Amino acid sequence: LKTLHLGSCVITTNLQEMRNGFSEIRDRVLAEDEIIDVRILRKMVSLQDTEPAGQCCLLRHVLRLYLDKVFKNYQTPDHHILRKLSSLANSFLTIKKDLRLCHDRMTCPCWEEAMEKYSRILSHFEELKPREAVVKALGELDILLRWMEEAE
Amino acid sequence: DGVAVLPAPQNLSVQSTNMKHLLTWSPVVVPGEIIDYSVEYQGEYESLYMSHIWIPSSWCSPTENPECDITDDITATVLYNLRVRATLGSQTSAWSTLKHPFNRNSTILTPPGLEVSNDGFHLVIKLEDLGPQFEFLVAYWRREPGAKEHIKMVRNGGVPVLLETAEPGAAYCVKAQTFVKAIGRHSAFSQAECVKLQGEALSL
Repeated sequence: LKTLHLGSCVITTNLQEMRNGFSEIRDRVLAEDEIIDVRILRKMVSLQDTEPAGQCCLLRHVLRLYLDKVFKNYQTPDHHILRKLSSLANSFLTIKKDLRLCHDRMTCPCWEEAMEKYSRILSHFEELKPREAVVKALGELDILLRWMEEAE
Repeated sequence: DGVAVLPAPQNLSVQSTNMKHLLTWSPVVVPGEIIDYSVEYQGEYESLYMSHIWIPSSWCSPTENPECDITDDITATVLYNLRVRATLGSQTSAWSTLKHPFNRNSTILTPPGLEVSNDGFHLVIKLEDLGPQFEFLVAYWRREPGAKEHIKMVRNGGVPVLLETAEPGAAYCVKAQTFVKAIGRHSAFSQAECVKLQGEALSL
C-alpha cells in the first residue's frame, strides 16, 4: 500500500495493484481510442502542478468524473476487461470515500485553482463524443495513476 | 433462454481466512446428472452505479464443484454481492444471492507460522508465506528476567530473516503477528518460540 499526501489529507491506497490491473488491459483499451491528438488529463492541469492544499479537491473531482461518467458507460463483452475495470472502479470508490473523510475534516478544501483546473478537464472530456470520451479517459488511467504515484 | 426448472443453490456462505475467500453452497442434486454452477459478483461500485451489471467470477463460470475461490475477484475493501445458479444442459435455475454482502475486511487473520533457527551467532527466523498483502511484526527478547522486548517489521514471509547477532549460549524467544495494510488489521501473536543458541528450539 502507498501513502498519498494531498496537502494535509493523507490516505493509503493499493496503487501497485491498480497499476498491475490496468497494465493487463491497457493496450486493448488504447487500441479503441481513435482520437490521438487530444488529451483529457493534460500536464497543465495535473495534480503535481496544483497547490498542495488543492490537490485533494482536484483528485476528488476527477475520481468522481471517472466513477460517474467513465466506468459505468464503458461496455465490453470481454469478461477479463470487465473484471479489471471493476477492480479499478471499486478501488477508486474506496479512495473517494477516504477523500470524503478528509473533506469532512476540512482537510480537502476546494479553492479556485483546483476548481478551475477541474472545469478544464471536464471541458476536454465533454468536447468529445460520449463514447470517444469514455474510451480516451480509460486510456488515460495511466496518467491518473501516475498523478497519484507522484503524490506519494 | 432455458426455463428455470432446476432448484437454485442454497446456503451460500463465504469462508475467508488470511485474505483467501471461498464461496460455498449446498449442491443441487439430480440423480445421475452432473450439475454445473456459475458464480457472478458485483462490487459496491457496480451495485451503486450500475446495479444491473454482474461480473462472471474468474474461476467458476462454470464449475462443477459447490464452491468457488473468489480471492482474485475480491480486489478492493468494499462490499461485494455474490450469486450462484445451477445449469443442467439447457435448464438453468434462478440465481441465489449471498444474503449479506461480503467485505474482505472480515477475513480471519491467524497467527503466522514461525521457524526459529540459529548458527550459534545469529538468531534467524522464517515466517509463513501468506502472500504479498501480508507484513509481519516480530517481537523477540532474551529469555532472562527484565529482558527488553525488541520489535522488527518484516515485509515478506517465506524467506529467512536475521533478527540479531546473538550471544552464544544465550536463550532467545520470538513471537510474531501478521498485519494486512489493505484492511488495516493484524492477527493475534503466535505462540512464543524459544531457542538456546547452539541448542534445540523449545516450545512453551
